[in-house]
Amino acid sequence: MTALPNVGLGPVIEELAEVIVANKAWLSEIDGKIGDGDHGSNMAKGFGRAAERIHGQDMTLDAGMLVLSEVLMGEIGGSMGPLYGLMFEDMAAALAGKSVIDTQTFAAMLQAGLEGVQGVGNAQVGDKTLIDTLVPAVAAFKAQSAAGFAVAIPAMIAAAEQGRDSTIDLVARIGRSSRLGERSRGVLDAGATSCCLILTSLGQSILKRLG
Amino acid sequence: MPLRPGNRAAEGGDDLIPLRFGDDPLLWASWLYYEEGMTQGDIAEQMGVSRPSVNAYLADARARGIVSIEIAPDRFRSLSIAKALRDHFNLQDCLVIPTEGGERSLIARLGDAGARVLSRFMRSGDTLAVTWGRTVLSIADQIQPPILQDVRVVQATGGTTAKIPWTPEACASRLAKALNARAIPISAPAIVSSPEVRALLMQEAVLSEQLGMLAEADRIVMGISSLRPESTIHSSGFLEGGMQHAHYQDAVGSIVGRFISARGEPVIGPMHDRTIGLDLDQLRRVPQRIAVAGGMDKVAAILAALRGGYVNVLVTDIATGRGILTAEGYRDTPRRPPSEPDRPPRARTHVKKLINAPQDAVDETLKGALLAHEHLIAPVAGSSRVVRALDAPRQGKVAIVVGGGAGHEPAFWGYVGPGLADAAVVGNIFASPPPDPIIAATRAVNGQAGVIYIYGNFSGDVMNFDMAAEVMAAEGVEVRSVITTDDIASSPRETRSARRGVAGNIFTFKIAGAAAARMMSLDACEALARHANARTYTMGLALEPGSLPETRQPSFDLGPEDMEIGVGVHGEPGVERRGLASADACADLLLERILEEMHAAEGDEVALLINSLGSIPTMEMYIVLRRVRQRLKARGLRVHSSLVGPYYTSLDMAGLSLSVLHLDKELKELLEVPCRSAALTIG
Repeated sequence: MTALPNVGLGPVIEELAEVIVANKAWLSEIDGKIGDGDHGSNMAKGFGRAAERIHGQDMTLDAGMLVLSEVLMGEIGGSMGPLYGLMFEDMAAALAGKSVIDTQTFAAMLQAGLEGVQGVGNAQVGDKTLIDTLVPAVAAFKAQSAAGFAVAIPAMIAAAEQGRDSTIDLVARIGRSSRLGERSRGVLDAGATSCCLILTSLGQSILKRLG
Repeated sequence: MPLRPGNRAAEGGDDLIPLRFGDDPLLWASWLYYEEGMTQGDIAEQMGVSRPSVNAYLADARARGIVSIEIAPDRFRSLSIAKALRDHFNLQDCLVIPTEGGERSLIARLGDAGARVLSRFMRSGDTLAVTWGRTVLSIADQIQPPILQDVRVVQATGGTTAKIPWTPEACASRLAKALNARAIPISAPAIVSSPEVRALLMQEAVLSEQLGMLAEADRIVMGISSLRPESTIHSSGFLEGGMQHAHYQDAVGSIVGRFISARGEPVIGPMHDRTIGLDLDQLRRVPQRIAVAGGMDKVAAILAALRGGYVNVLVTDIATGRGILTAEGYRDTPRRPPSEPDRPPRARTHVKKLINAPQDAVDETLKGALLAHEHLIAPVAGSSRVVRALDAPRQGKVAIVVGGGAGHEPAFWGYVGPGLADAAVVGNIFASPPPDPIIAATRAVNGQAGVIYIYGNFSGDVMNFDMAAEVMAAEGVEVRSVITTDDIASSPRETRSARRGVAGNIFTFKIAGAAAARMMSLDACEALARHANARTYTMGLALEPGSLPETRQPSFDLGPEDMEIGVGVHGEPGVERRGLASADACADLLLERILEEMHAAEGDEVALLINSLGSIPTMEMYIVLRRVRQRLKARGLRVHSSLVGPYYTSLDMAGLSLSVLHLDKELKELLEVPCRSAALTIG
C-alpha cells in the first residue's frame, strides 16, 4: 500500500502524546542543562490534554492535529505553545479535505509545518533549535518520497536524529539558552529533541498502518 | 526511542579494595590522598564511592591515628602561638612570623607581614585609618595591594614636625600612594599648645570634615608603642619631658597617640585635651583594628592593647607572642579527643514542596492572592489567569498590562493596583501565557486611551503578546509593547535589545503606572516606560538552584562551594560559575558590573532593589544592601530609595539580584507618585 485513508487517524495523535508523556522527564532533564527545565512537563501537559479530547472520537489526522494545536496555542503558552501550535495548525491545513494521505500529501504537510514554525520564530539551521531537526527531516522525506513511505519515512527519521544530535555541538543563538553563549555547547537542544520525537512517532504510526 | 545519554554505569562500585590495604577503606583512601597525591574526586572514582565519603574517610583516618601530620617545628610554633593568641583574645585573625629571619630587621619583616595582611583585608570603597611609626612606614613601603577602587586613607592623628621619617603625614601619604587611594590628611598639629586652641581648631570646617571621614573608617592599621625613652611616642613629641613621671605613671604603652594602662584602660592626663585625632572610644568603634608590632620591649604595651580590646587583628613575631601569652598566664590546654565524625545524611532525591497537585499550583496561588488582596484586585470572568485592578478600567487612562510566566510571585499580580498596572496575566510556571488570557485582560481594562504591554524579553512572551496585540489591533485597540531588557549579564551592552527582562521590571512597571495615573498620553507613557527600562540595570547570583513543582529536582547542578553569577529568573543557569565568595565580594561584583555600564556622574541619584530569588535569608539581603550603599557613597552617588525583599522571585532559588535605576528628574518625580498594590505601596 502506498497511501492511507485520512479517516480514523485520530489515534496517531494519541500515540504521539503517549511518546511525549513517556519522555517527559528526559525532555525536562535536557532542558534543565541550559534552559529552565520545564520543556518535558509543558509538552506532556499539552499533548496529554489533547489526547484526552481526541480519545474515542472518529477523527481525521488533520482534525486531531487541530485539537492539538488549539490546546498548545490556547493553554500552554511559553515559546513551544505557539511554535508547535502553528506547526500543527499549518500541517492540518495542508491535509484538509484530503481523503487519502500519500507521500506527496505527507510531504506537503511537513513543508507546511516547517513554514508554520518559520513564520512565528526566526531561527535558522545552526541556531540550536527545533529547526535543526525539522529542516533536514523534511528535506530527507521529500528527496525519498518517490520511493514510497517505506523508504522515505526511515530516511526522515534518520535525518531528524542526525539533526537533533547536531545540536550538541552548537552554541544557542536564539531563545532562552542563547544567553549562555559557549556554555550551551555540549548539550542537546530540548526543542530539537522533542521535534525528533514528534517526527519519529508520526512516521512510525504511518508505517505501522501501512502494514 | 533514543536512550537517555550520559547515564554512567555505577562503575567501580563493585571494585575490590587492593589486597595490601586489607579491608580498610580508610587506609586505602589515605594512601591515595597522601602518598599518591590524588584528588578526592579521583579517589572517589577509583574507590567507587562518593566524594563526601572520601572526605569522611580522610577525616576518620586522622582521628584514628592512621594518618599523623607533622609540621616543621618553627612553622608549627607560629601556627600554635597565632591560634592561642586568636582564641585567648578573641581576635578576628592573628599572624605570627619567626623572630629570627636572616638579614632583614624585625621591623622590615613585620612590615612585610603587615602589608600582606592588609592587602588581604582591603576592599574597594574602604576608608582606612593609619597611625605612624617605623613599622607602619615599613608596611606602606612594602605593600603590593590588589587593584582597588574608591579607597580613602585617613591620617589617624594630626601631624608633627619631629625630625623622623615616619611622621603621621609621611605614613598616610605613602600608604595612600601605594594603595592608589585618596589621602585625607588631618590639617592640624597632633599636639596643640592648650585645650582652648584645640577647641577652637575643632570648629574649623576643613578639620571637622576630615575628622568626620576619620570617624567613618572601616579599618585602621596601627603600630603599638612602648613608653621607653627611645620609643616612637617620645621621638614624635607626644609626651613632653617630665610629664611621664608626673601624670602617666600608670601607662605601659600607647596607641593612636593615646595612653593605656597594663589592664588596657585609658590613662587620661594633661595631653588628652591637647591631642587632635582618633581617641580610644572612637578607635574601638572601628570595625577592623589591625595592629602590627613586635619586640620584647613591647610585650607589656601589646598585652595592654589586647586586654583593652583596641586590637582585633594582630601581626607579631614568635618571641613577642610567646611573651604575651606567658605574661597572661596562658597554658596550652590539651587537645580535645577526636570525636566520632558525623555520618553524612542520606542523599535526597526530591526537593520538599508545600503544594497539593503540582498542576494546580499556579491556579491555587492566584486564588489565594485574589483573596488576600481582595481590596485591590479582582478576577476577570472566563480567565483564571488574569487579575485586574478593582478600579480598572478607567476611561481616558492608558491601561498597563503586565505579565509572564508564573513562579515569580509576587510578580505579576502583586503590581496591579492604583498607580501601577491595570491587569496582570500569568502563564504556567516559567512559561509565557498564551494569547487568549492576554486578550481577555486587554479587553477588561481598556479605557479607550490605548494599552501598553510590559513584559520581559523572552521569546515565548514576545510571540504570545505579539499575537494578542495583533488580535486587539484588529478590534481597533491601540496596543504598544515595551519589552524589558534590564539583565546586564544576559548579553553584551552592544546587544542590549537581546537581554532578558528580570527584577528591574518593577521599576519600569512603576514608572509606566505613574505616567498613566497622571493621565499622560499613550505616546508619553510608552516613551517613559522605555526610558525607565533603558536606565535600569540588574545582575543576579544564585547560591542554590530552584526546583519546579512538577519535577521537584534542582533545575541545575551547583557544586557545594560554587555560586552561579548572572542567573536569570527561570532557573536557567547563569553566565559564569565561581567559588562562593563573601557577601561584600558578591555585592562588589554585581555593583561594579552595573556601574561600569551606567556612566553615572558624581552626585547622580539612583533607586535600588535588592531582590530575593526566592529563598535567601532576609539578613543576607540587608548585608548586601549595606555594602552596596557603602560603595555608592564612596563613589559619590546618592540613593533615593532602597527596596529589599522578594519582589520578583524564581520559585525557591537561593540567591538575589541587584537592580539599579539611574534616576533623572522626570524618573524621580514619577517614582514618587503614590501607588498601592499587594507588593509595592508608595506614598
